[in-house]
Amino acid sequence: MKDLFQYTAGDSVIHKLNPLTRILLAVAVCAAAFVSDNLYYLVGLLCFDMLLGLLAGVFGKALSLLKGLLKISIFLFILQILFVRKGNRVFWIITDQGLILAAKVVLRLMIACIPLALMLAVTQISDLANALVQVAHVPYKYAFTVTTAIRFIPQFMEEMADIMEAQTARGVEFDTKNGLKKIGMMLPLCVPLLVTSVRRTDAAAAAAEARGFELRNRTSGYKKYPFHWCDLLAVLVCAALIAGAVII
Amino acid sequence: MISIESLTFQYEGSTEPAVKDITLNIEDGGFFGIIGPAGAGKTTLARALCGIVPHHYKGDFYGSVTVDSMDTVDSKMTDICRVVGMVFQDVESQIISSVVEDELLYGLENYGIPHEEIEERMDFALREVGIEDLRYRTIASLSGGQRQKVAIASVIALRPKVLLLDEPTGELDPGSSRQVFGLLKTLNEKYGITIVVIEQKIMLLSEFAKELAVMSGGSMFCHGPVREVLKRARELEEIGVNCPRVASLAQNLHKEGLLKTPVLINVDEAEAAVRRLIS
Ligand SMILES: Nc1ncnc2c1ncn2[C@@H]1O[C@H](COP(=O)(O)OP(=O)(O)OP(=O)(O)O)[C@@H](O)[C@H]1O
Ligand SMILES: [Mg+2]
Repeated sequence: MKDLFQYTAGDSVIHKLNPLTRILLAVAVCAAAFVSDNLYYLVGLLCFDMLLGLLAGVFGKALSLLKGLLKISIFLFILQILFVRKGNRVFWIITDQGLILAAKVVLRLMIACIPLALMLAVTQISDLANALVQVAHVPYKYAFTVTTAIRFIPQFMEEMADIMEAQTARGVEFDTKNGLKKIGMMLPLCVPLLVTSVRRTDAAAAAAEARGFELRNRTSGYKKYPFHWCDLLAVLVCAALIAGAVII
Repeated sequence: MISIESLTFQYEGSTEPAVKDITLNIEDGGFFGIIGPAGAGKTTLARALCGIVPHHYKGDFYGSVTVDSMDTVDSKMTDICRVVGMVFQDVESQIISSVVEDELLYGLENYGIPHEEIEERMDFALREVGIEDLRYRTIASLSGGQRQKVAIASVIALRPKVLLLDEPTGELDPGSSRQVFGLLKTLNEKYGITIVVIEQKIMLLSEFAKELAVMSGGSMFCHGPVREVLKRARELEEIGVNCPRVASLAQNLHKEGLLKTPVLINVDEAEAAVRRLIS
Protein backbone atom coordinates (compact mmCIF):
# COMPACT_ATOMS: atom_id res chain seq x y z
CA MET A 1 0.00 0.00 0.00
CA LYS A 2 2.80 2.40 0.93
CA ASP A 3 4.67 2.21 -2.35
CA LEU A 4 1.44 3.05 -4.13
CA PHE A 5 2.15 6.72 -3.60
CA GLN A 6 5.82 6.46 -4.33
CA TYR A 7 7.12 7.96 -7.53
CA THR A 8 8.17 5.45 -10.18
CA ALA A 9 10.83 6.87 -12.50
CA GLY A 10 10.86 6.08 -16.21
CA ASP A 11 10.73 7.60 -19.65
CA SER A 12 7.47 6.22 -21.01
CA VAL A 13 5.00 8.17 -23.14
CA ILE A 14 3.05 8.98 -20.01
CA HIS A 15 6.18 10.29 -18.25
CA LYS A 16 6.70 12.62 -21.21
CA LEU A 17 3.25 14.18 -20.92
CA ASN A 18 2.82 17.48 -19.17
CA PRO A 19 1.91 16.78 -15.52
CA LEU A 20 -1.35 18.64 -15.97
CA THR A 21 -2.25 16.54 -19.00
CA ARG A 22 -1.76 13.41 -16.92
CA ILE A 23 -4.20 14.64 -14.32
CA LEU A 24 -6.61 15.69 -17.06
CA LEU A 25 -6.39 12.19 -18.50
CA ALA A 26 -7.28 10.67 -15.14
CA VAL A 27 -10.17 13.07 -14.65
CA ALA A 28 -11.48 12.43 -18.16
CA VAL A 29 -11.56 8.67 -17.55
CA CYS A 30 -13.50 9.21 -14.32
CA ALA A 31 -15.93 11.55 -16.03
CA ALA A 32 -16.47 9.13 -18.90
CA ALA A 33 -17.18 6.34 -16.41
CA PHE A 34 -19.92 8.33 -14.73
CA VAL A 35 -21.45 9.64 -17.94
CA SER A 36 -21.56 6.33 -19.78
CA ASP A 37 -24.43 3.92 -19.25
CA ASN A 38 -23.21 1.18 -21.55
CA LEU A 39 -21.84 -1.97 -20.00
CA TYR A 40 -19.49 -2.75 -22.89
CA TYR A 41 -18.18 0.79 -22.97
CA LEU A 42 -17.45 0.57 -19.25
CA VAL A 43 -15.55 -2.68 -19.77
CA GLY A 44 -13.65 -0.87 -22.51
CA LEU A 45 -12.80 1.97 -20.11
CA LEU A 46 -11.47 -0.49 -17.57
CA CYS A 47 -9.26 -1.94 -20.28
CA PHE A 48 -8.15 1.60 -21.05
CA ASP A 49 -7.14 2.02 -17.38
CA MET A 50 -5.01 -1.07 -17.66
CA LEU A 51 -3.56 0.17 -20.95
CA LEU A 52 -2.56 3.40 -19.19
CA GLY A 53 -0.79 1.34 -16.55
CA LEU A 54 0.98 -0.64 -19.27
CA LEU A 55 2.01 2.51 -21.17
CA ALA A 56 3.32 4.14 -17.99
CA GLY A 57 5.33 1.05 -17.12
CA VAL A 58 3.43 0.47 -13.88
CA PHE A 59 1.21 -2.42 -14.93
CA GLY A 60 2.04 -4.29 -11.75
CA LYS A 61 0.78 -1.36 -9.73
CA ALA A 62 -2.42 -1.26 -11.78
CA LEU A 63 -3.00 -4.95 -11.10
CA SER A 64 -2.42 -4.60 -7.39
CA LEU A 65 -4.83 -1.66 -7.31
CA LEU A 66 -7.41 -3.80 -9.06
CA LYS A 67 -6.83 -6.58 -6.55
CA GLY A 68 -7.19 -4.13 -3.67
CA LEU A 69 -10.53 -2.95 -5.03
CA LEU A 70 -11.83 -6.48 -5.48
CA LYS A 71 -13.10 -6.97 -1.92
CA ILE A 72 -15.18 -3.81 -1.77
CA SER A 73 -16.38 -4.49 -5.33
CA ILE A 74 -17.75 -7.90 -4.41
CA PHE A 75 -19.49 -6.38 -1.41
CA LEU A 76 -21.05 -3.63 -3.55
CA PHE A 77 -22.04 -6.14 -6.21
CA ILE A 78 -23.92 -8.36 -3.77
CA LEU A 79 -25.61 -5.37 -2.19
CA GLN A 80 -26.81 -4.17 -5.58
CA ILE A 81 -28.20 -7.50 -6.84
CA LEU A 82 -30.09 -7.97 -3.60
CA PHE A 83 -31.75 -4.56 -3.66
CA VAL A 84 -32.66 -4.02 -7.29
CA ARG A 85 -36.21 -5.25 -7.87
CA LYS A 86 -36.79 -4.27 -11.49
CA GLY A 87 -36.46 -6.60 -14.48
CA ASN A 88 -37.04 -10.29 -15.04
CA ARG A 89 -36.13 -12.69 -12.33
CA VAL A 90 -33.10 -14.85 -13.15
CA PHE A 91 -33.12 -16.97 -10.00
CA TRP A 92 -34.30 -16.47 -6.42
CA ILE A 93 -34.71 -12.68 -5.96
CA ILE A 94 -32.03 -11.76 -8.43
CA THR A 95 -33.08 -9.97 -11.60
CA ASP A 96 -31.30 -9.46 -14.90
CA GLN A 97 -31.44 -5.69 -14.51
CA GLY A 98 -30.04 -6.01 -11.03
CA LEU A 99 -27.08 -7.92 -12.37
CA ILE A 100 -26.39 -5.36 -15.07
CA LEU A 101 -26.74 -2.42 -12.70
CA ALA A 102 -24.49 -4.06 -10.14
CA ALA A 103 -21.87 -4.73 -12.78
CA LYS A 104 -22.01 -1.09 -13.87
CA VAL A 105 -21.61 0.25 -10.35
CA VAL A 106 -18.64 -1.97 -9.69
CA LEU A 107 -17.03 -1.14 -13.01
CA ARG A 108 -17.46 2.59 -12.42
CA LEU A 109 -15.85 2.31 -9.02
CA MET A 110 -12.84 0.50 -10.45
CA ILE A 111 -12.49 2.77 -13.47
CA ALA A 112 -12.68 5.90 -11.36
CA CYS A 113 -10.22 4.81 -8.67
CA ILE A 114 -7.39 3.47 -10.76
CA PRO A 115 -6.25 6.25 -13.14
CA LEU A 116 -5.65 8.99 -10.58
CA ALA A 117 -3.55 6.66 -8.45
CA LEU A 118 -1.62 5.54 -11.53
CA MET A 119 -0.94 9.06 -12.71
CA LEU A 120 0.22 10.13 -9.26
CA ALA A 121 2.56 7.15 -9.24
CA VAL A 122 4.35 8.36 -12.36
CA THR A 123 4.22 12.07 -11.55
CA GLN A 124 6.67 13.78 -9.29
CA ILE A 125 4.73 15.84 -6.82
CA SER A 126 7.10 18.76 -7.26
CA ASP A 127 6.56 18.66 -11.03
CA LEU A 128 2.84 18.73 -10.48
CA ALA A 129 3.18 21.73 -8.18
CA ASN A 130 5.50 23.55 -10.58
CA ALA A 131 3.17 22.92 -13.50
CA LEU A 132 0.16 24.06 -11.50
CA VAL A 133 1.98 27.29 -10.69
CA GLN A 134 3.54 27.92 -14.10
CA VAL A 135 0.82 26.77 -16.45
CA ALA A 136 -2.40 26.91 -14.48
CA HIS A 137 -1.36 30.07 -12.54
CA VAL A 138 -2.27 28.56 -9.17
CA PRO A 139 -0.65 30.59 -6.31
CA TYR A 140 2.39 28.69 -5.04
CA LYS A 141 1.12 28.63 -1.46
CA TYR A 142 -1.90 26.51 -2.43
CA ALA A 143 0.08 24.24 -4.70
CA PHE A 144 2.59 23.69 -1.88
CA THR A 145 -0.15 22.86 0.63
CA VAL A 146 -1.63 20.21 -1.62
CA THR A 147 1.69 18.68 -2.57
CA THR A 148 2.91 18.63 1.03
CA ALA A 149 -0.21 16.76 2.07
CA ILE A 150 0.43 14.15 -0.62
CA ARG A 151 4.12 13.99 0.27
CA PHE A 152 3.36 13.21 3.89
CA ILE A 153 0.91 10.37 3.27
CA PRO A 154 3.60 7.65 2.98
CA GLN A 155 5.41 9.07 6.02
CA PHE A 156 2.24 8.99 8.10
CA MET A 157 1.56 5.45 7.01
CA GLU A 158 5.07 4.44 7.96
CA GLU A 159 4.71 6.08 11.36
CA MET A 160 1.33 4.43 11.94
CA ALA A 161 2.85 1.07 11.05
CA ASP A 162 5.70 1.73 13.51
CA ILE A 163 3.29 2.60 16.31
CA MET A 164 1.15 -0.46 15.59
CA GLU A 165 4.20 -2.68 15.56
CA ALA A 166 5.25 -1.31 18.93
CA GLN A 167 1.76 -1.97 20.30
CA THR A 168 1.65 -5.48 18.84
CA ALA A 169 4.93 -6.19 20.58
CA ARG A 170 3.19 -5.25 23.83
CA GLY A 171 0.43 -7.76 23.17
CA VAL A 172 -2.27 -5.74 21.43
CA GLU A 173 -3.87 -7.99 18.82
CA PHE A 174 -4.27 -5.88 15.72
CA ASP A 175 -4.65 -8.91 13.52
CA THR A 176 -8.19 -9.46 14.72
CA LYS A 177 -10.76 -10.34 12.05
CA ASN A 178 -13.32 -7.97 13.56
CA GLY A 179 -13.03 -4.71 11.63
CA LEU A 180 -14.92 -2.59 14.16
CA LYS A 181 -12.77 -3.86 16.98
CA LYS A 182 -9.64 -3.08 14.98
CA ILE A 183 -10.76 0.48 14.37
CA GLY A 184 -11.53 0.82 18.07
CA MET A 185 -7.98 -0.21 18.89
CA MET A 186 -6.42 2.07 16.30
CA LEU A 187 -8.25 5.26 17.23
CA PRO A 188 -6.35 5.99 20.48
CA LEU A 189 -3.11 5.67 18.50
CA CYS A 190 -4.15 8.51 16.24
CA VAL A 191 -3.56 11.05 18.99
CA PRO A 192 0.20 10.52 19.37
CA LEU A 193 0.42 10.24 15.60
CA LEU A 194 -1.30 13.59 15.25
CA VAL A 195 0.98 15.25 17.80
CA THR A 196 4.21 14.08 16.13
CA SER A 197 2.72 14.89 12.75
CA VAL A 198 1.94 18.48 13.66
CA ARG A 199 5.50 19.05 14.92
CA ARG A 200 6.97 17.42 11.85
CA THR A 201 4.81 19.37 9.46
CA ASP A 202 5.82 22.53 11.29
CA ALA A 203 9.49 21.58 10.99
CA ALA A 204 8.98 20.91 7.29
CA ALA A 205 7.38 24.32 6.87
CA ALA A 206 10.31 25.94 8.70
CA ALA A 207 12.77 24.13 6.46
CA ALA A 208 10.92 25.22 3.33
CA GLU A 209 10.84 28.79 4.60
CA ALA A 210 14.58 28.69 5.23
CA ARG A 211 15.07 27.81 1.59
CA GLY A 212 13.08 30.75 0.35
CA PHE A 213 9.56 29.37 0.16
CA GLU A 214 8.10 32.87 0.31
CA LEU A 215 10.18 34.21 -2.54
CA ARG A 216 8.96 31.62 -5.00
CA ASN A 217 6.73 32.78 -7.80
CA ARG A 218 5.59 31.82 -11.26
CA THR A 219 8.89 32.66 -12.91
CA SER A 220 11.10 30.81 -10.38
CA GLY A 221 10.97 27.38 -12.01
CA TYR A 222 14.12 26.25 -13.79
CA LYS A 223 12.37 23.41 -15.56
CA LYS A 224 9.70 24.46 -18.01
CA TYR A 225 6.51 22.54 -18.64
CA PRO A 226 5.61 23.17 -22.28
CA PHE A 227 2.87 21.32 -24.12
CA HIS A 228 3.99 18.94 -26.87
CA TRP A 229 2.17 17.16 -29.65
CA CYS A 230 1.70 14.15 -27.39
CA ASP A 231 -0.21 16.38 -24.97
CA LEU A 232 -2.47 17.43 -27.81
CA LEU A 233 -2.96 13.77 -28.63
CA ALA A 234 -3.82 13.02 -25.02
CA VAL A 235 -6.34 15.86 -24.93
CA LEU A 236 -7.94 14.45 -28.07
CA VAL A 237 -8.11 11.04 -26.43
CA CYS A 238 -9.79 12.63 -23.41
CA ALA A 239 -12.36 14.34 -25.62
CA ALA A 240 -12.98 11.10 -27.52
CA LEU A 241 -13.45 9.16 -24.27
CA ILE A 242 -16.09 11.56 -23.01
CA ALA A 243 -17.75 11.94 -26.39
CA GLY A 244 -17.90 8.15 -26.67
CA ALA A 245 -19.50 7.96 -23.25
CA VAL A 246 -22.19 10.45 -24.21
CA ILE A 247 -22.98 8.87 -27.58
CA ILE A 248 -22.83 5.15 -26.85
CA MET B 1 30.48 36.48 11.73
CA ILE B 2 27.84 35.59 14.31
CA SER B 3 27.51 37.23 17.68
CA ILE B 4 24.93 36.35 20.28
CA GLU B 5 24.27 38.74 23.17
CA SER B 6 22.47 37.39 26.26
CA LEU B 7 19.94 35.46 24.20
CA THR B 8 16.93 34.06 26.02
CA PHE B 9 14.06 32.45 24.14
CA GLN B 10 10.85 30.89 25.34
CA TYR B 11 8.55 29.12 22.88
CA GLU B 12 4.98 30.36 22.77
CA GLY B 13 2.90 28.22 25.09
CA SER B 14 5.75 26.69 27.08
CA THR B 15 6.48 27.61 30.68
CA GLU B 16 10.25 27.71 30.65
CA PRO B 17 12.81 29.28 28.34
CA ALA B 18 14.42 26.78 25.96
CA VAL B 19 17.67 28.78 25.95
CA LYS B 20 18.78 31.09 28.73
CA ASP B 21 21.18 34.01 28.67
CA ILE B 22 23.52 32.79 25.98
CA THR B 23 26.45 34.91 24.88
CA LEU B 24 28.69 33.58 22.16
CA ASN B 25 30.89 34.70 19.31
CA ILE B 26 31.51 32.61 16.24
CA GLU B 27 34.50 33.69 14.17
CA ASP B 28 34.52 33.92 10.41
CA GLY B 29 36.02 30.74 8.94
CA GLY B 30 35.80 28.81 12.19
CA PHE B 31 34.77 25.21 12.82
CA PHE B 32 32.47 25.37 15.79
CA GLY B 33 30.99 22.41 17.64
CA ILE B 34 28.00 22.45 19.98
CA ILE B 35 27.34 19.55 22.31
CA GLY B 36 24.97 18.82 25.17
CA PRO B 37 22.46 16.29 26.48
CA ALA B 38 18.95 15.90 24.98
CA GLY B 39 16.70 18.89 25.57
CA ALA B 40 19.64 21.19 26.30
CA GLY B 41 18.36 23.72 23.78
CA LYS B 42 20.86 23.02 21.00
CA THR B 43 18.27 22.95 18.25
CA THR B 44 16.65 26.11 19.59
CA LEU B 45 20.01 27.90 19.55
CA ALA B 46 20.58 26.74 15.98
CA ARG B 47 17.14 28.02 14.99
CA ALA B 48 18.02 31.37 16.50
CA LEU B 49 21.26 31.54 14.49
CA CYS B 50 19.42 31.38 11.18
CA GLY B 51 16.41 33.46 12.13
CA ILE B 52 13.86 30.63 12.20
CA VAL B 53 13.55 31.67 15.83
CA PRO B 54 11.78 34.11 16.19
CA HIS B 55 10.46 34.43 12.62
CA HIS B 56 8.88 30.99 12.25
CA TYR B 57 8.73 29.73 15.83
CA LYS B 58 7.16 32.56 17.80
CA GLY B 59 7.80 33.28 21.45
CA ASP B 60 9.50 35.66 23.89
CA PHE B 61 12.86 36.71 22.53
CA TYR B 62 15.35 38.65 24.66
CA GLY B 63 18.86 39.74 23.79
CA SER B 64 20.16 39.86 20.26
CA VAL B 65 21.65 37.72 17.52
CA THR B 66 23.71 39.43 14.83
CA VAL B 67 24.64 37.57 11.66
CA ASP B 68 26.97 39.19 9.15
CA SER B 69 26.02 42.57 10.71
CA MET B 70 22.27 41.89 10.34
CA ASP B 71 20.15 41.83 13.46
CA THR B 72 18.06 38.67 13.05
CA VAL B 73 14.94 40.20 14.58
CA ASP B 74 14.90 43.21 12.27
CA SER B 75 15.97 41.43 9.11
CA LYS B 76 13.90 39.20 6.88
CA MET B 77 14.30 35.49 7.56
CA THR B 78 15.13 34.77 3.93
CA ASP B 79 18.01 37.27 4.04
CA ILE B 80 19.49 35.60 7.10
CA CYS B 81 19.01 32.10 5.71
CA ARG B 82 21.02 33.02 2.63
CA VAL B 83 24.01 33.71 4.86
CA VAL B 84 23.43 30.87 7.31
CA GLY B 85 22.37 27.67 5.55
CA MET B 86 20.88 25.15 7.95
CA VAL B 87 20.68 21.38 7.63
CA PHE B 88 17.90 20.25 9.94
CA GLN B 89 17.88 17.51 12.56
CA ASP B 90 15.03 15.67 10.87
CA VAL B 91 16.26 15.24 7.31
CA GLU B 92 13.04 13.49 6.27
CA SER B 93 10.96 16.59 6.81
CA GLN B 94 13.53 18.85 5.23
CA ILE B 95 13.54 17.07 1.88
CA ILE B 96 10.79 18.46 -0.31
CA SER B 97 11.23 16.76 -3.66
CA SER B 98 11.18 13.15 -4.73
CA VAL B 99 14.26 13.34 -6.96
CA VAL B 100 17.74 14.53 -5.92
CA GLU B 101 18.12 17.07 -8.72
CA ASP B 102 14.84 18.78 -7.84
CA GLU B 103 15.83 18.99 -4.22
CA LEU B 104 18.90 20.99 -5.19
CA LEU B 105 16.88 23.13 -7.57
CA TYR B 106 14.32 24.14 -4.98
CA GLY B 107 16.41 26.65 -3.03
CA LEU B 108 18.23 27.88 -6.12
CA GLU B 109 14.95 28.64 -7.86
CA ASN B 110 13.42 30.32 -4.84
CA TYR B 111 16.36 32.61 -4.21
CA GLY B 112 16.21 33.67 -7.84
CA ILE B 113 19.67 32.46 -8.83
CA PRO B 114 20.00 33.32 -12.54
CA HIS B 115 19.07 30.27 -14.58
CA GLU B 116 22.39 30.22 -16.45
CA GLU B 117 24.21 29.93 -13.12
CA ILE B 118 22.08 27.11 -11.76
CA GLU B 119 23.73 24.25 -13.64
CA GLU B 120 27.18 25.26 -12.40
CA ARG B 121 26.01 25.54 -8.80
CA MET B 122 24.36 22.13 -8.90
CA ASP B 123 27.53 20.59 -10.30
CA PHE B 124 29.56 22.27 -7.57
CA ALA B 125 27.32 21.02 -4.77
CA LEU B 126 27.03 17.48 -6.10
CA ARG B 127 30.76 17.23 -6.71
CA GLU B 128 31.87 18.60 -3.35
CA VAL B 129 29.51 16.31 -1.49
CA GLY B 130 30.52 13.42 -3.75
CA ILE B 131 27.07 12.41 -4.95
CA GLU B 132 27.28 13.20 -8.67
CA ASP B 133 26.07 9.69 -9.43
CA LEU B 134 22.89 10.20 -7.41
CA ARG B 135 21.66 13.23 -9.36
CA TYR B 136 18.70 11.52 -11.06
CA ARG B 137 17.86 9.03 -8.31
CA THR B 138 14.62 9.18 -6.35
CA ILE B 139 14.95 10.13 -2.68
CA ALA B 140 13.00 7.03 -1.67
CA SER B 141 15.73 4.81 -3.09
CA LEU B 142 18.53 6.40 -1.03
CA SER B 143 20.06 5.29 2.27
CA GLY B 144 20.05 7.51 5.35
CA GLY B 145 23.62 8.63 4.76
CA GLN B 146 22.92 9.47 1.15
CA ARG B 147 19.86 11.51 2.12
CA GLN B 148 21.98 13.41 4.61
CA LYS B 149 24.41 14.25 1.84
CA VAL B 150 21.59 15.38 -0.43
CA ALA B 151 20.36 17.71 2.31
CA ILE B 152 23.87 19.13 2.72
CA ALA B 153 24.29 19.53 -1.04
CA SER B 154 20.97 21.34 -1.35
CA VAL B 155 22.14 23.86 1.24
CA ILE B 156 25.69 24.42 -0.02
CA ALA B 157 24.36 24.94 -3.55
CA LEU B 158 23.12 28.24 -2.14
CA ARG B 159 26.73 29.13 -1.22
CA PRO B 160 26.06 30.24 2.36
CA LYS B 161 28.86 31.83 4.36
CA VAL B 162 27.94 29.72 7.36
CA LEU B 163 26.85 26.09 7.23
CA LEU B 164 24.82 25.10 10.28
CA LEU B 165 24.09 21.42 10.86
CA ASP B 166 21.85 19.95 13.54
CA GLU B 167 23.06 16.46 14.44
CA PRO B 168 24.01 15.50 10.89
CA THR B 169 25.28 12.09 11.95
CA GLY B 170 22.40 11.22 14.27
CA GLU B 171 21.29 8.23 12.23
CA LEU B 172 24.55 7.29 10.56
CA ASP B 173 27.05 4.54 11.22
CA PRO B 174 30.57 5.51 12.38
CA GLY B 175 32.01 5.23 8.87
CA SER B 176 29.47 7.57 7.25
CA SER B 177 29.71 9.94 10.22
CA ARG B 178 33.43 10.39 9.64
CA GLN B 179 32.77 10.92 5.95
CA VAL B 180 30.34 13.73 6.71
CA PHE B 181 32.85 15.41 9.01
CA GLY B 182 35.58 14.98 6.42
CA LEU B 183 33.31 16.76 3.98
CA LEU B 184 32.72 19.60 6.46
CA LYS B 185 36.45 19.93 6.94
CA THR B 186 36.98 20.27 3.19
CA LEU B 187 34.27 22.91 2.89
CA ASN B 188 35.82 24.77 5.79
CA GLU B 189 39.40 24.67 4.55
CA LYS B 190 38.90 24.88 0.80
CA TYR B 191 36.11 27.44 0.63
CA GLY B 192 36.39 29.16 4.01
CA ILE B 193 32.80 28.32 4.90
CA THR B 194 32.21 28.75 8.62
CA ILE B 195 30.96 25.48 10.08
CA VAL B 196 28.68 25.27 13.10
CA VAL B 197 27.76 21.71 13.94
CA ILE B 198 25.63 20.24 16.71
CA GLU B 199 26.88 16.76 17.43
CA GLN B 200 26.59 14.10 20.12
CA LYS B 201 29.71 12.18 19.14
CA ILE B 202 32.40 13.98 21.06
CA MET B 203 35.22 12.01 19.45
CA LEU B 204 34.33 13.52 16.08
CA LEU B 205 33.98 17.01 17.49
CA SER B 206 37.26 16.91 19.38
CA GLU B 207 39.02 15.78 16.27
CA PHE B 208 37.50 18.14 13.71
CA ALA B 209 36.21 21.21 15.55
CA LYS B 210 38.43 24.07 16.60
CA GLU B 211 36.07 25.48 19.19
CA LEU B 212 33.48 23.78 21.34
CA ALA B 213 30.43 24.97 23.24
CA VAL B 214 28.77 22.78 25.84
CA MET B 215 25.10 23.38 26.61
CA SER B 216 23.08 22.05 29.49
CA GLY B 217 19.53 22.80 30.57
CA GLY B 218 19.20 25.73 28.19
CA SER B 219 22.36 27.48 29.40
CA MET B 220 25.88 27.67 28.09
CA PHE B 221 27.92 25.41 30.37
CA CYS B 222 31.26 26.44 28.92
CA HIS B 223 32.88 27.25 25.61
CA GLY B 224 36.30 27.80 24.16
CA PRO B 225 39.02 26.04 22.18
CA VAL B 226 38.52 22.28 22.14
CA ARG B 227 41.52 21.56 24.35
CA GLU B 228 40.40 24.04 26.98
CA VAL B 229 36.93 22.53 27.12
CA LEU B 230 38.19 18.96 27.29
CA LYS B 231 40.28 19.81 30.34
CA ARG B 232 37.01 19.83 32.23
CA ALA B 233 36.24 16.20 31.35
CA ARG B 234 35.14 15.42 34.91
CA GLU B 235 32.50 18.18 34.98
CA LEU B 236 31.31 17.31 31.50
CA GLU B 237 30.65 13.72 32.56
CA GLU B 238 28.51 15.08 35.38
CA ILE B 239 26.13 16.94 33.07
CA GLY B 240 25.86 13.89 30.82
CA VAL B 241 28.42 14.58 28.11
CA ASN B 242 30.68 11.59 27.61
CA CYS B 243 34.26 12.56 27.06
CA PRO B 244 36.54 10.65 24.75
CA ARG B 245 38.40 7.92 26.59
CA VAL B 246 41.69 9.45 25.50
CA ALA B 247 40.68 12.63 27.36
CA SER B 248 40.08 10.74 30.62
CA LEU B 249 43.30 8.83 30.11
CA ALA B 250 45.18 12.10 29.64
CA GLN B 251 43.64 13.56 32.78
CA ASN B 252 44.58 10.55 34.86
CA LEU B 253 48.16 10.53 33.55
CA HIS B 254 48.38 14.25 34.14
CA LYS B 255 47.21 13.88 37.72
CA GLU B 256 49.82 11.21 38.35
CA GLY B 257 52.38 13.66 37.02
CA LEU B 258 53.29 11.45 34.10
CA LEU B 259 52.02 13.75 31.40
CA LYS B 260 52.65 17.46 30.95
CA THR B 261 49.55 18.41 28.96
CA PRO B 262 46.22 17.55 30.54
CA VAL B 263 44.51 16.97 27.17
CA LEU B 264 44.91 14.49 24.34
CA ILE B 265 42.31 14.78 21.63
CA ASN B 266 42.73 11.72 19.46
CA VAL B 267 44.08 8.22 19.43
CA ASP B 268 47.24 9.19 17.53
CA GLU B 269 48.22 11.72 20.15
CA ALA B 270 47.48 9.27 22.92
CA GLU B 271 49.54 6.56 21.27
CA ALA B 272 52.51 8.88 20.86
CA ALA B 273 52.26 9.99 24.49
CA VAL B 274 52.03 6.46 25.84
CA ARG B 275 54.95 5.31 23.68
CA ARG B 276 57.05 8.14 25.05
CA LEU B 277 56.12 7.17 28.60
CA ILE B 278 57.03 3.53 28.11
CA SER B 279 60.37 4.10 26.44
N1 LIG C 1 8.47 23.83 18.62
C1 LIG C 1 8.55 23.83 19.95
N2 LIG C 1 7.55 24.32 20.70
C2 LIG C 1 7.62 24.33 22.05
N3 LIG C 1 8.66 23.87 22.75
C3 LIG C 1 9.71 23.35 22.07
C4 LIG C 1 9.70 23.31 20.63
N4 LIG C 1 10.87 22.76 20.22
C5 LIG C 1 11.56 22.47 21.35
N5 LIG C 1 10.89 22.82 22.46
C6 LIG C 1 11.33 22.67 23.86
O1 LIG C 1 12.53 23.41 24.05
C7 LIG C 1 13.45 22.68 24.86
C8 LIG C 1 14.79 22.55 24.17
O2 LIG C 1 14.63 21.75 23.02
P1 LIG C 1 15.69 21.60 21.86
O3 LIG C 1 15.01 20.89 20.76
O4 LIG C 1 16.27 22.93 21.57
O5 LIG C 1 16.78 20.68 22.54
P2 LIG C 1 17.98 19.84 21.90
O6 LIG C 1 19.17 20.14 22.70
O7 LIG C 1 18.04 20.09 20.44
O8 LIG C 1 17.55 18.36 22.16
P3 LIG C 1 17.81 17.04 21.27
O9 LIG C 1 19.17 16.58 21.58
O10 LIG C 1 16.76 16.10 21.76
O11 LIG C 1 17.60 17.42 19.82
C9 LIG C 1 12.80 21.34 25.16
O12 LIG C 1 12.28 21.40 26.46
C10 LIG C 1 11.70 21.23 24.13
O13 LIG C 1 10.59 20.53 24.64
MG1 LIG D 1 17.85 18.97 18.74
